[in-house]
Amino acid sequence: MISGDYFGKPYKITMTITEANSQTAKTSRSKLVIATTLEQQDHATRVWLYSGIFWMVVAMMIGTVEAVKLFDPEFLQGVPALAYGRLRPVHVNIGIFGFMSMGYLGAAFYMVPRLTQTPLFSESLGALTAWVWNFNLLGGCLAILLGYSKGKEYEEIPFPFNMIIGLLEIAIAGNLFSTVVLRREKRIYVSLWYILLAIIPFPIYYTLGNSNSFTGIEDAIVNWFYSHNLFGIWLTALGLATLYYIVPKQVHKPLYSHAVSFLGFWTLAAFYPWNGGHHVIWGPVPMWVMSASVTASLAMLVPTISTMVNFGGTALGTWHIFKKDISYRFSLLAYFGYIGASIWGSILAIMSLNAVVHFTNMTIAHVHLGFVGFGVPGLVAFIYFYIERSLKLKYSQTLAEWHFWLTVMGILGYTISMGVNGWLEGSQWVAGNSPQGTMLMRYPYHVARAISGLILLIGQLLFVWNIFKTINYAPKNSPQSTIQN
Amino acid sequence: MRFIRVFPIIIGLSILFGVAFSGLAVAPAFAPSVAEPSPGLVAYTSSELKGRKIYVREGCVYCHSQQVRDVPADANLAMGFGVSRAGDYYYDRPHLLGTMRQGPDLANEGRIWRKDVGQPARDYLIGHFINPRNYNPASIMPAYNYLSEEELAELTDYIQSLGAWKDQPGESS
Repeated sequence: MISGDYFGKPYKITMTITEANSQTAKTSRSKLVIATTLEQQDHATRVWLYSGIFWMVVAMMIGTVEAVKLFDPEFLQGVPALAYGRLRPVHVNIGIFGFMSMGYLGAAFYMVPRLTQTPLFSESLGALTAWVWNFNLLGGCLAILLGYSKGKEYEEIPFPFNMIIGLLEIAIAGNLFSTVVLRREKRIYVSLWYILLAIIPFPIYYTLGNSNSFTGIEDAIVNWFYSHNLFGIWLTALGLATLYYIVPKQVHKPLYSHAVSFLGFWTLAAFYPWNGGHHVIWGPVPMWVMSASVTASLAMLVPTISTMVNFGGTALGTWHIFKKDISYRFSLLAYFGYIGASIWGSILAIMSLNAVVHFTNMTIAHVHLGFVGFGVPGLVAFIYFYIERSLKLKYSQTLAEWHFWLTVMGILGYTISMGVNGWLEGSQWVAGNSPQGTMLMRYPYHVARAISGLILLIGQLLFVWNIFKTINYAPKNSPQSTIQN
Repeated sequence: MRFIRVFPIIIGLSILFGVAFSGLAVAPAFAPSVAEPSPGLVAYTSSELKGRKIYVREGCVYCHSQQVRDVPADANLAMGFGVSRAGDYYYDRPHLLGTMRQGPDLANEGRIWRKDVGQPARDYLIGHFINPRNYNPASIMPAYNYLSEEELAELTDYIQSLGAWKDQPGESS
């Protein structure tokens, strides 16, 4: 389990403690101790991961209801808390702070102790923060449903729930960061860089975005500065950290190039925080805000292509693993989702194209490729990986195959239906039509989107059923099954 | 000692984030076009502000933008109403620019359903809130039939204020 073979070498005692009295024998013994404690613990990881799965399903259910409302507005009509305008922020906030944040923090809580060769600073603090995060998010979402939304995208959760999210993140960051500082493995693998990027600046932009001290256009610019950091250096960084950790392990070979991952990381950190302004291209903002953001959005092609080359090089010649290992297949799906969403995002920032498709469903397609094309498969890949490699359990291969192909269909259906819809809408507007005039044209695409969402949801429910059965029943009934691989 | 290896990463990240923060979050506040109201812009009245809160609460912003751009897709709006400027939003808190148009842009709705038309314009807006499909059978807008009479009136006040100051600059201030 110990990740000493990470850089392609079999595990040797590379761990050097800086104290003068460190001895080889002593370090090797202490490594054994760490190995056993890691096996027994991971309590925090489990709470975060399972919460992430729970919120993922909830977010998809709400999303499906919304999708139906967009072609059948009378569906569930008459209940204020279930009105479209209140469900949508709940869907989005659960997607960000429930599914993606919690799931990938679970992965981070798993990775950090292994990459640092150090037990987590505090397992109980990790688990406690997860539970409080859950109930706090539930409270925040109920508050939005009851009409207390703050009204700006991605920061609808009202006081005090938003403040508690910020404080919890500081506790989480402290927990992970202390582990990194106290580490025994001196080298810092690229996953840890991404985790540091995710956990350290979060309190700054989260507080900035949630403070209500701005007005007008300044408020809008701060809003999108905050929200793009949330996507770029919080969710994406945590997601990429996870992929960088599991993919080399799944293909049993080292990462293609550490130099390229270095380039990818630092360019991502340099350009992503500038992307926020691309939400207001052609909008009423100073021209240089637009120019800076368009430039940064196009510059994002550098980290995207670095990541593409790096994972592509690592994945070359692994077809035999791809066919058998569902977890690896999901990793590659997440890889394609990430590359697709990132390149698409850069292209959407091109001003002439943005003029046509901004405000259309093209945006919705792009965002969902990021969340269900990268977020879902990445988390799912990690969970299959965790069950197989760490819990040493075997899930149902048949259910997992169904899960994979339903997920692929859902992603493609969603992205294509909304992408085409968005392009047609934009073209209609350029031709002089208005949004009201395109209602009938949009109808079939809205139906197709709802069906895709439903397919995706069914796939994830199979997944939940599969891992639930695997974790709860397999070890008790057949202890042998834990050994086979 | 162990901390030192992490230190350069953190310093590097802080510098990169700090530069973006200053450029994108701090500097725009000092741009003259952002820091001053448009000529003739009128502050919201108390009932308009109450209506605005209902607009926020019900999430109208997720389907209706409030900005007209200088692009071909907005050509009709720009021709009829002009392009939106940063100063137009001086009193907006929170901002309601929007990112999506499931329905029409509302930046100039108060110039379509004008206050000086009187009761017919109000009747249309209130009736449309209660059931949009009475007016456009293909509409996918939710029916806000659960709003009270008072709330409907406030929301109507707010909608009628949108862009209205461009026709009668500064009169009602």
